Amino acid sequence: MIRADIVKLYKAVHSWIGISCGFALFIAFYAGALTMFQEPIARWASPPAVGVAAVPLDDALRLLELVAAAHPEAREEGITLHLWGHENEPARVTWLEDAPYQEGQAHEHVHWWATLKLDGTLLAKQQEPSELAEFINAIHMRAGIPGSWGSYFMGVVSLLYGVALIAGVIVLLPSLAKDFLALRVGKSLKRMWLDAHNVVGVTALPFHIAMAITATSLSFTGPLWSVQESVVFGGKQAILMAGDDELFESPKPIGEAGAMMAPSQLLQKLKMQAPDYEPRVMIFRNFGDRAAVVRVAGAERGYVGDSHLGSVMLSAVTGELLKDGTRPSRQDPDRRASETFYGLHTGQYDGATIRWAYFFLGLSGAWLFYSGNLLWIETRRRKARKGGEVEQSRSTRLLGSATVGVCLGCVAGISLTIVAAKWLHGRVADLNAWHAYIYYAVFLGSVAWAFAWGVARSAVHLLWLCAAATMAIPLTTLTALLPPALGMWAHGSAATIGVDVVAFIGALCLAWMAISTARRVKLGPADSIWSIRKPENRTEVRESVAIAAE
Amino acid sequence: MPGEMRPDWWGKASAGAVLGLGLALSLVGLYAYLGPGGINAPGGRYSLMRHLEAIIWIAVFGFCFLFRSGRAAWTWLGAANLIAFAALFACRFYFFA
Repeated sequence: MIRADIVKLYKAVHSWIGISCGFALFIAFYAGALTMFQEPIARWASPPAVGVAAVPLDDALRLLELVAAAHPEAREEGITLHLWGHENEPARVTWLEDAPYQEGQAHEHVHWWATLKLDGTLLAKQQEPSELAEFINAIHMRAGIPGSWGSYFMGVVSLLYGVALIAGVIVLLPSLAKDFLALRVGKSLKRMWLDAHNVVGVTALPFHIAMAITATSLSFTGPLWSVQESVVFGGKQAILMAGDDELFESPKPIGEAGAMMAPSQLLQKLKMQAPDYEPRVMIFRNFGDRAAVVRVAGAERGYVGDSHLGSVMLSAVTGELLKDGTRPSRQDPDRRASETFYGLHTGQYDGATIRWAYFFLGLSGAWLFYSGNLLWIETRRRKARKGGEVEQSRSTRLLGSATVGVCLGCVAGISLTIVAAKWLHGRVADLNAWHAYIYYAVFLGSVAWAFAWGVARSAVHLLWLCAAATMAIPLTTLTALLPPALGMWAHGSAATIGVDVVAFIGALCLAWMAISTARRVKLGPADSIWSIRKPENRTEVRESVAIAAE
Repeated sequence: MPGEMRPDWWGKASAGAVLGLGLALSLVGLYAYLGPGGINAPGGRYSLMRHLEAIIWIAVFGFCFLFRSGRAAWTWLGAANLIAFAALFACRFYFFA
């Protein structure tokens, strides 16, 4: 039996971490849930392009030869040959080139794609791809705070989130048998929210434990590695690093021309030597040289982290297997363990089932922080109320406004920046910068709105904004199908239509939340922050009294 | 006698945050020297260690409020740190120097 004073102590730990970190965790979980569909979102946002299919795989060797001749600098960096034919692959072949940069400045790249014209000559173009999906991932990783400080901030938040998980379990343990799976609907609104908070938290506990650990280690990777080096290794890491790098390094060019094997033939050679490997892209290094290699990135099913890091290197001349030490089945036990942690964070195992499960677990996590804040505010109200209804304290109102502004601002900001991928394409010079402008404008505007209008009114306004912004995603795709032509597009693949369908359902959920919040604002207890009525000075015998506070 | 529990928020939390990280680094550092293959084992150990460190850090931070007081947390965790770092530095500078 856990002593009452320990439970009380940990209840305070759980609440205070929840209140201080709940905002950042909401953003991380909501945006993180969306990153489960990073690929479909990237495909949805990619404008129509020449595509992979324009050059059959059998003609790819000729295309590679033309690119290597016309753009020799691409040979060293690596020329990527795409195999899937998804909308976010602009053409059969792409590569990166160094952007002009000043000495000492950050090194940027520009993106090129190339295809064959009907007469068999080369068409190469520099074009920046949509970075919408990466932007959503950046919001997820750093809660919207740019640079390393965002990572460190989320590292602290993740660490405290792990502590809050331990605290939450300790608080719940004594009454687990009684409370778990007991969703007391109707008896009291607060009781019901608490029951729901517990059920969602406990059933998703393994997910949350994995997330707390990996979010901490991934956010603090840089600092942890440098302190590891100075405290543990003291220079001895050099051997480890060298051994690691060796697995990825391609051999130096020897300067003699060699005949390149056709990509389709190389894939056959790969199939013979690594039958279970599913190739995604082929990256050619030093194309045309006798020491040219192709690194095939892809997935090996049946492992956690099945599509991360793994690659197989073949000679581009003979198709002989040169390096095969990084895909899951070839990783050493420590690497496998490390990649398992990573895969558990990113949901990279068992394909679509786990991605959908993570999507809903992520949304339920976001809901946990929202409901946790709500519970805390309502409990404070109960403590403050001695007999009659009371005005909410200033701090409670401010916390409520911040909760609503940050959470709903994030939802609306992400939806609108997704929509902008189609509306602003071709209309602004730097669309990827505009994704950030739009997100931050909506996010900060929502926070300001929530403080200006108070939590009750602004929650209704902002929920409608979220619903409208999210509904705009499928509506934009529909608009693209109708005249007049606005320069937008509607892809027909299941993945991109899936984005529209999920956004449609999400918008309906948000609209339902807006309607029920509006009802509560008008009819709910007047001394709640969720009310626009002024409290009257009378005793209320409503739901709340039934529960002894906490 | 289960003495009285003092909240000591800052005392306990600072012990958990600082000494939890210390314990994480030193224990995982010992794994780097004493684990299979030893300190020169090539491969993913370097990358794995951050995850193991996070587990220990979170666990120590999470359970440090069970100490009777902030002083007790600093004393016990400090002692554990001293022992673990002594063992780590013995490995680093003496046994595997």
